[in-house]
Amino acid sequence: MNNKKHVFAEDSFFISRRKFMAIGSAFIAVIAIPVGWFGNKIIKRNDYIKARSAGLYKDDTIAKLRVSHANPAVEKYYKEFGGQPLGHMSHELLHTNFVDRTKLNS
Amino acid sequence: MHHNQHDIRPIQKHPLNVRVFHYILLLSFLPLAVTGLLLFFKPLSQSGMQLTYDIHIIAGVVMGLDALAFTLMAFDRVVLFIARVFSLSERDVKWFMVLGGYPQKFLLGKKVPVPPMNKYNSGQKLFGVCVLIGGTLLILSGLVIWLAPHVAPRDLVWILGQIHLVSGLILTAFLPVHLFLAVYRFDDFKAMMVHGNVPYHDAAEYTPLWVEQEIVPVTANQQRNK
Repeated sequence: MNNKKHVFAEDSFFISRRKFMAIGSAFIAVIAIPVGWFGNKIIKRNDYIKARSAGLYKDDTIAKLRVSHANPAVEKYYKEFGGQPLGHMSHELLHTNFVDRTKLNS
Repeated sequence: MHHNQHDIRPIQKHPLNVRVFHYILLLSFLPLAVTGLLLFFKPLSQSGMQLTYDIHIIAGVVMGLDALAFTLMAFDRVVLFIARVFSLSERDVKWFMVLGGYPQKFLLGKKVPVPPMNKYNSGQKLFGVCVLIGGTLLILSGLVIWLAPHVAPRDLVWILGQIHLVSGLILTAFLPVHLFLAVYRFDDFKAMMVHGNVPYHDAAEYTPLWVEQEIVPVTANQQRNK
């Protein structure tokens, strides 16, 4: 039988066009809904981070004080107490020392 | 049915595109089932598990592309398959009451009357529904938990993992049954694995409704397509 060409086959139109379209579109819908759902999730995954950085930039643009050395409180501190930036007093008070604690965690 | 006994005129049962799809599915699903079980039970070393994971991913991509290509290139076959496997009638209930007569044949050696079947019998239809739904769930959930596990919500990824596990286990459980019955129905086995045709007597015995309602001489199809 291997070499013989088949003499019978399925009638290619045994299913009506209406039924074909109904099943086909139902199948496409069932596949497309989850694909669209996950695709949308993936496309929108960074939206809240982008919204937050946009908000921070907006806050910066409308802020009256945009740099720390123009802050009147800092100016007052150096004038009345700390001397000058990176001076002896400021170093003692503002400099922070770090200890390597990585081994304590492991 | 005596007059059909030696009728070996070939009926095309599985066209070439279906056979190619089935071959790629076979070559991808067998490694997927094995590596999937290995990934679940984790019996190997770190490097062994890594290799298992890589094979699972590669075979999964092959299976996903196979399904996508077949859906796009043979959409009519997909629709016909859905129409067939989701058809339900009283005959299916009666078929399941005797389980197609197979246990009686294997265990008791006796033949019981079985309701006439279409192209797929009720058991094949149940398997077809599981493969269609389970395979789709496996591919989609696998893609998400492989490519986008940190993008999707955490609970959703967990649910998709459970869906992947359950569908995988169900389809893997079907596998030995499918392999055994496929080889048992040897005419159908040759049709799917080699030339696509079953002899008339085999089709008339196992799938009488298919022969009666859907099978026409090849010349009729050619004339209609002209």
